[in-house]
Amino acid sequence: MEIFIQQLINSLSVASVTILIGIGITLIFGLAGIVNFAHGEFLMVGGMVTWFLVNAGLNFFVALFGAMILVGALGFAAERGLFRFTLDRPMNGFIMSIGLSVILQHVVIRIFNEVQKTIPDPVGQVWVVGGVNIIAMRAIVVAITAIVVALTYFGISRSRYGVALRASIADQDTAALMGIPVRKYVTGVFIYGSVLAGLGGALMIALFPITPFTGSVVIIRGFAVSLIGGLGNVGGAVVGGLLLGLVDGLSAGYGSPEWTDAYSLVLMIAVLIIRPQGLLGWNTGTARQLKNSQ
Amino acid sequence: MAALEITGLQKRFGGVVALNGIDLSVDPTRITGIIGPNGSGKTTLFNVIVGAHKPSAGRISWRETDITGKSPATIASQGLVRTFQQAMSFSTLSVRENVTIACEHGRPHGGAGLRWSSPEEILDFVGLSGLGDQTAGSMPFGNLRRLGIAIALGTNPLLLLLDEPAAGLNQTEVAQLMELILQLPKVGIGVCLIDHDMFLMSGLCERLTVLNFGTKIAEGPPAVVLNDPKVKEVYLGNEL
Amino acid sequence: MEQAVSPTPVTRTPNRTDAKDKPRRFDAPSRLEIITGIIVALFLLGFPSLNPGYRILSLSITTAFTAVALYGLALQFGQAGIMSVGHAAVMGIGAYTAAILATKLGVGFWLALPLSAIMSALVAGLIGLPSLRVSGQHYIIITFCFCALLVIALTNGGSFTGAATGLDVGSIDPVFGLSFDRLKNAYYLVIVALLLCILAYYLITNSSYGRTLRAIRENEPLARAVGIKTGFHKIGVLMVSGAFAGVAGILQAYYLHHIAPNLYGAFPSLYLALMVMLGGARLLYGPLIGAVIVTFLPEIMHLDPIDSRIAYGVGLLVVILLLPGGVSAGLLSMCRWLGRLNHKRDPNGRA
Repeated sequence: MEIFIQQLINSLSVASVTILIGIGITLIFGLAGIVNFAHGEFLMVGGMVTWFLVNAGLNFFVALFGAMILVGALGFAAERGLFRFTLDRPMNGFIMSIGLSVILQHVVIRIFNEVQKTIPDPVGQVWVVGGVNIIAMRAIVVAITAIVVALTYFGISRSRYGVALRASIADQDTAALMGIPVRKYVTGVFIYGSVLAGLGGALMIALFPITPFTGSVVIIRGFAVSLIGGLGNVGGAVVGGLLLGLVDGLSAGYGSPEWTDAYSLVLMIAVLIIRPQGLLGWNTGTARQLKNSQ
Repeated sequence: MAALEITGLQKRFGGVVALNGIDLSVDPTRITGIIGPNGSGKTTLFNVIVGAHKPSAGRISWRETDITGKSPATIASQGLVRTFQQAMSFSTLSVRENVTIACEHGRPHGGAGLRWSSPEEILDFVGLSGLGDQTAGSMPFGNLRRLGIAIALGTNPLLLLLDEPAAGLNQTEVAQLMELILQLPKVGIGVCLIDHDMFLMSGLCERLTVLNFGTKIAEGPPAVVLNDPKVKEVYLGNEL
Repeated sequence: MEQAVSPTPVTRTPNRTDAKDKPRRFDAPSRLEIITGIIVALFLLGFPSLNPGYRILSLSITTAFTAVALYGLALQFGQAGIMSVGHAAVMGIGAYTAAILATKLGVGFWLALPLSAIMSALVAGLIGLPSLRVSGQHYIIITFCFCALLVIALTNGGSFTGAATGLDVGSIDPVFGLSFDRLKNAYYLVIVALLLCILAYYLITNSSYGRTLRAIRENEPLARAVGIKTGFHKIGVLMVSGAFAGVAGILQAYYLHHIAPNLYGAFPSLYLALMVMLGGARLLYGPLIGAVIVTFLPEIMHLDPIDSRIAYGVGLLVVILLLPGGVSAGLLSMCRWLGRLNHKRDPNGRA
C-alpha cells in the first residue's frame, strides 16, 4: 500500500509537468491554430533558468518565479516577433517554431553546456502522511499543479475573459465580429502558456535532471496530452495528462519500461484517428477547419 | 426524361433537419432553379447531391445510375458538376492552369467527345479571353465567378449545379451572367441554379422549385410559383 | 483595367484546335530549363576533377543522398501540400531494409535498392492514411510520433535490428570492376542517383499529375469537385516520396557502413524539413540548394556544429518571414530582377 501511494504521487508529479505544458499547448493551438514546437524548449529554458538562479544562491521558490517571468517574456517575444505574422498561414508558424526550437536548444548549449543539470531537493523533507513516507517535493509539485489547473479552469469557465476566450476558440470570426479583440487574446494566451511552461520547467528540475534536449522529449507528451483531451479544452488536457500518467505507471509496473513512451504515442495516434477532436473535444476553430476540408 | 432524380432525400446534422424528404426531377436539357429563404436547405441539397455529404435517407439517381452516397470526384466524373457559393479557385495558380486542371479530369460522355478542345476556348466562352496568365487569386470578384464556371465547364459536364452564382455581383455583371448561362443549354449543358436574385431566376429558369425548412413547398414555371400565396408568405417582406 | 468581356456567342464553329493550347500529359521543357539542367549535371559530374579533397568529396556525397530524400519531401509538401516531420524515419525504413537484407539474407546493394524503395513507399503510404482524416497540423504531429515510435521499435528490436548499437553494412558489389569503396566512384554513383531523381521530380511536376497535386494543395474541395480523387493521389504522392526517401536511406547505409536508430529519429526529420524549407520546396533546384547550404555553410564559414545549428534555425526564421519560397525562390527573383534591369538598359529597347 505504501508503495502504491508513493508510485501514485510519483506518477502524478510527472503527469503534473506534462499537464502544465499541455494546457499551454491546448490553449494556443485551440485559439490560434499555432503548433508551437518550441514549447518544450520554453519548459527547458524555465528549468535552466531555475538551475542558474538556484546556483547563484537564490531560494528555489524565488528562482521559480524568476523562471516563470523570464519564459513568459520569451513567449511574448516569440508571439510578437514571429508567430504574429503567420496567423493566417499556420503551417508557416509551425515550421518557424521548428527553427525556434533548434535555436533555443543550441543557444542554451552555448551559454551553459550539454551536461545535464540538477538541483538538490529544495525542500528536502519526507512527510509522513497516514503512516506513508512521501517525498515532500513531489507532493508540492502535484499541489502547485492542482492549484494552477483549478485557477485556469475557473478562470476560463467563470470569468468574462474566459468566456470570450472560449468563444474565440469556438469561432474566431464571429468572436471578432462581436468585438472581442482576438489578437490580444492570442498574445495573452501565448504569454500564459509560456508562463506555465516556465513553471513546469522549474518544477521539473526540482525532481529530475534536465538537459538542453529535454524539451523535445517533453513536447511529444505535451502534444499527446492536448490532442487526446481535445484542443482548446483545459479539462481535456488534465484528463489526457492523468491518462498518460496512468499508462506510464502501469507500464513501469507491469509492462516493459522501454516501450513506455511507445504506449502513449500509440494511444495518441489512435485517438487522433478515431476521434480527431479529442476525447473531450469541442467544435474548436481548428475542428471547423477540419470539417471544411472534408 | 429527367436525368437527375431525387426521391425522399433527407439530411440531418445532429438534431437539425436540413432536408426533410425532398423529391425532385431535374431535366438536363433546360435551365431550372431552386429558391427559398436562407436556411431552407438549398446548398445542403446541392452538397448531398454531389456527394459532399451523405444523405440520412433517400435516393439520388443520375442518368439511371444510383449515385447516392458516392464521392464528389466520382459524381463529377460522371458529368454532374457543381460550383461553390464562395468564389473558389486554385488561387496561386494561373487562370489557364486552373482550367487546364479541370480539363485534364474531364471525361467524354455519351459518345459526344469533349466539347471544347482547349482551355483558351473555355476562357473565351465565359468571357475571360486573354486573362490566362493572371494569378487566379488576384482577380476581381466578378472574374473569379466566371473562372469558377470555366473550371466547371472544363470537366465537360452534362448538368451544372450553380450555387448562388450571382451573389456579390452588380447589376451589369448579373446581366452578363444571365447571357452566359443562357448559352449553356445550347452547347448541351443543363443548368440547375440556386440564387436569391428573383430577376435572374425568373428570367433564366423554365421551372422553379421552392424550398422552406428543408421541404418543397411549390414547383412550376416562375410566373406561377412566384404568385403562389404560400411562396409569398415565406418571403414576406421581400420584393419579388 | 481587366474588364471581363461579354461571352462570345457560340454560333461560331469552335474547332480551332490550337496545338499550343491543348492540355498535354508532359509539358515540354523550355530552352532555359534544358540549358540549366545540362550545366548542373556537368558541374556535378565534373566536380571530382576539380580535386576537391577527401573531406569535401565526402560532404558532397552526404549532400547528394540527403538531397534525394529532400526531393521526395518537396514532392509531398511543395506540390501536394502535405508536410511531414517524420521523413527521416521513412529513410530509416529503407536503410534498415537494406541492412537486414544484407546481414540476414546476404542480399547485396543492387538487389536491395528497389526493395528498399518499395518498402519505404509502402510504409509511407501506410502512415499516410491518417492524413486523409485529420488536418495538416494534426498530421505533422502524427508523423513526428511515428518517428519516435520507429526509434523505440528499432532500439528494442534485439538482434534483428541490432538494437541501440545498430547494424553494420558491407560494401556495394562492384560493377564492371568498378569498386565503390573508392570515394570517387561512390560519388559518381550517388550523383547519378541524384540526377535521375531530379529528372523524375521534373517529369512529375511538369505533367498533368503535377497539376493534379497542386490542385489538391491549393483547394482540396474544388479538386474533388472537378473529379480528382484526392485521397488516392495523396497516398500516391506520399508513396512516391517514400520511395525517394528509401533510396536515400539505402545510399546512406552503404556509404556510412553502419546505421543506428538515432539517425532516423525526430532531430534528423526536423532537419530534413528545415532543409527543404530553406532551399525552397517548390522550385526545381530548391531541395538541392537546401542540402548544399546546410552541409557546406558551416564548412565555408568555419562554424562549429552548435553555432551552425543556431544559424540554420535563424536562417529558417528569416526564410519563412521574408522569403517563403526559400532561397531558390529568392535567387530566382534576383535573376529576374537583374534580367529586367538588363533589358531596361538595352539601347535597342527590347521589351
